[in-house]
Amino acid sequence: MLKLNRLTKRFGGLVAVNEVSFEVRQGEIFAVIGPNGAGKSTLLNLISGLFAPDLGTLELLGKDLTQSPPEVRAWHGLGRAFQIVQPFAEMSVRENLLVGALFGKPGTPMSKAKAVVEEVLELTGLAPKADTPAHELTLLEDKRLELARALCTQPRLLLLDEVMAGLRPAEAMEAVELIKKIRASGVTVLFIEHLMPVVRALADRVVVMDYGQVIAEGTYAEVAANPRVREAYLGRSA
Amino acid sequence: MEILLQTLINGLLAAGVYALVASGLALAVGVVGIVNFAHGEFLMIGAFVSYFLFTAQGLDPLISLGAAALAAFAVGAISYYGLIRPVLAAPELNQMLLTFGLSIALQNLALLLFGADTRVVSPPYQGSTVSLLGLSFGLVPFASFVLSVALLSGLYWFLGRTRLGFAVRAVAQNRLAPGLLGIETQRVYLLAFGLSAALAGVAGVMLSVMLYASPTIGFAYTLKAFAIIVMAGLGNLRGVIPAAVVLAMAEAFVSTYVPGGGGWVEAVFFLVIFVSLTYRSWRFR
Amino acid sequence: MILAGVLLLFALILPALPLGSWQPFALDTAQFAFLLSGLALSWDLLARTGQLSLAHGAFFGLGAYTAALAAPALGTLPALLAGGVVAAAGSFLLGLATLRLHGMYFAIATLAFSEVMRTFVLKAGFTGGSIGMIVAPPFDGRFPLGGYYLAVTVLGLCVLTSYLVSRSRLSYAMAAIRQGEAVARVLGVPVVRVKLVAFLLSSALAGLAGGVYGMKTLFLSPYDAFSLGRAVEALVIPIFGGLYTTTGPLVGGLLLVGLETWLRLRIGEGYLVVYGVLLILAILFLPRGLVGWFSRRRGGRHA
Repeated sequence: MLKLNRLTKRFGGLVAVNEVSFEVRQGEIFAVIGPNGAGKSTLLNLISGLFAPDLGTLELLGKDLTQSPPEVRAWHGLGRAFQIVQPFAEMSVRENLLVGALFGKPGTPMSKAKAVVEEVLELTGLAPKADTPAHELTLLEDKRLELARALCTQPRLLLLDEVMAGLRPAEAMEAVELIKKIRASGVTVLFIEHLMPVVRALADRVVVMDYGQVIAEGTYAEVAANPRVREAYLGRSA
Repeated sequence: MEILLQTLINGLLAAGVYALVASGLALAVGVVGIVNFAHGEFLMIGAFVSYFLFTAQGLDPLISLGAAALAAFAVGAISYYGLIRPVLAAPELNQMLLTFGLSIALQNLALLLFGADTRVVSPPYQGSTVSLLGLSFGLVPFASFVLSVALLSGLYWFLGRTRLGFAVRAVAQNRLAPGLLGIETQRVYLLAFGLSAALAGVAGVMLSVMLYASPTIGFAYTLKAFAIIVMAGLGNLRGVIPAAVVLAMAEAFVSTYVPGGGGWVEAVFFLVIFVSLTYRSWRFR
Repeated sequence: MILAGVLLLFALILPALPLGSWQPFALDTAQFAFLLSGLALSWDLLARTGQLSLAHGAFFGLGAYTAALAAPALGTLPALLAGGVVAAAGSFLLGLATLRLHGMYFAIATLAFSEVMRTFVLKAGFTGGSIGMIVAPPFDGRFPLGGYYLAVTVLGLCVLTSYLVSRSRLSYAMAAIRQGEAVARVLGVPVVRVKLVAFLLSSALAGLAGGVYGMKTLFLSPYDAFSLGRAVEALVIPIFGGLYTTTGPLVGGLLLVGLETWLRLRIGEGYLVVYGVLLILAILFLPRGLVGWFSRRRGGRHA
């Protein structure tokens, strides 16, 4: 599905992402975890094409997209929900989703796009808010909008950047169920998360990053038992 | 060889005033975060202050410098207080449009009041030349250069060595933290904006002698100052001086060596803006 | 849109109204107002992508000069088209270099472009330089109302384009780019292409309006055709009338040009002071323009 090979990004002297390689398989839920500043968000920006890598390659569904801009990656089936919600503030919820549905796949006719939007509004529970201007939403609704808009691009691989941050436990569990539903509909999911219960509940496989490098890979139980991972977390969480 | 040397010197002398104007703009951009399209109009105000003090009172431009600086500071401070402050939290484009409106309003107000004529301040020493190392150049450009260097040194000293200067730099570094530290951000903004205008006002006095005072003179210098601060990197005060030298030298060379030269000088700043912006946009993809 | 239709209909019958000795003045003012409203609509089209152009005076001037130079050889209509094409070509070159720039960088680059275009026209031989050039009236002066109806046509074209774009999928792409470019790209919006299309459409319409303007004034000089005043009018009118709408620039244009004409008679050259002041006031007090203000007073429909 997604294959990263020695992906590297430097900012001045700082190596934010250092030769990261891993592969996400079709249909799985894949988590990237690590302490603050480990380079997770930079990695997502590299995958979605907002940053150009200094080194390394990226393959999506067998195509080399290392040099492709974000929109081309979107057309090849990559969707992304941002950590910091960025709704189009002057548009209604429905119009926000319509942007994703119209342009996520080139040449989608308006009628098809509208149908997709209604479907996603139902799935994410945003239907009652469909005509609300985005700047009037609560944080929880903003988060849903972020996810829903990404879904409207009809991705094959969905990148989620800490979509649970700031949610209450009950809300987070609701979101967990939603993500399971999304996977069940045939979408592969790669997510960044701080909340370990969420990672345990969702992830088939986990990659742990620290100082820009991958330090462990495996199931949740495997990486949780890894001494380097424990050290990375305990060493700095105080 | 002598022409080359003369061109280099012309460029260097012009760079002084350019650096003065552009440093003012860089201060507004760097500290207050406002790209001020009306910067040149502050310069225009300085030029007219010099002209009217000279014609009405017979005051030497050298003496007018203080009055022009004060007048420009006042207009800058009032503009900040009445116009800029309300839009500090607004989108960047709104701020820009606001200063653009201010520029248009001031420029055309001057046109209404004084007409489109160009007015030259001509003190007795206007045509004098100085000879140095076998080269001769105008006294006024030379004095302006020296004065600009002195003022810029003063500015750097103020920013680098005084408490208030430190506060200004602190605000420029981070718009939020100084508020928390108890430094009165608003007053620093006011000071920086006024200072920015005063620097332009002083440059206006110099230009009233070297060139002329006219309602539209400011706009040309806004553009040149933009070219310089874009080259230096927006808000980067340190880069202003080398960038001013580059622009002034480029203009001097075009005016000397390009056939039919004169008019094309006005296009040089465009090339500079264009090259630096394009470079910037491709580098920071 | 109904309002726009009514206004256009009124424009069509204006020459038939019994205005007596006022007629030539009314038609002249109306023609100027139509052209500037068209220019304002074209500016607004680009503004919808979040790009603030200070080069629309230059596109206007490029169209004016091209049409004036081409008219003797090509005839009126092809010459006007050529004006639109040349303006679009200019925007294409400018766009390739600058559309990656954001906000103030873009605005500064467009401002520099327009200053250089003026320098070029001043220095070039075939444009008559600073002396200016005489322009032939449209259709060799065979139809007294030819220029007037050309202006109505251009305005109609601008209104139609503006309306069609706001009804099309392009409008979603434009609004998305304006409100969050990075997000728009991640959602698959072809940002550079959309901006370029908006730039081309916008500058071509500005060039058309410029071409008719030249044939109206019968004389072009760089100071007039490439004046910063045009660029100022092009942006103040939509901001004052209501951004990202068809009605806003149209209503704003007719009102402001009316005001401008009156001011020109009274105070002459410094009339732009009003545009400066209006721009300041609109930014401070009318963030959604006249149209937004009215619709809010009528019960707050979100545009």
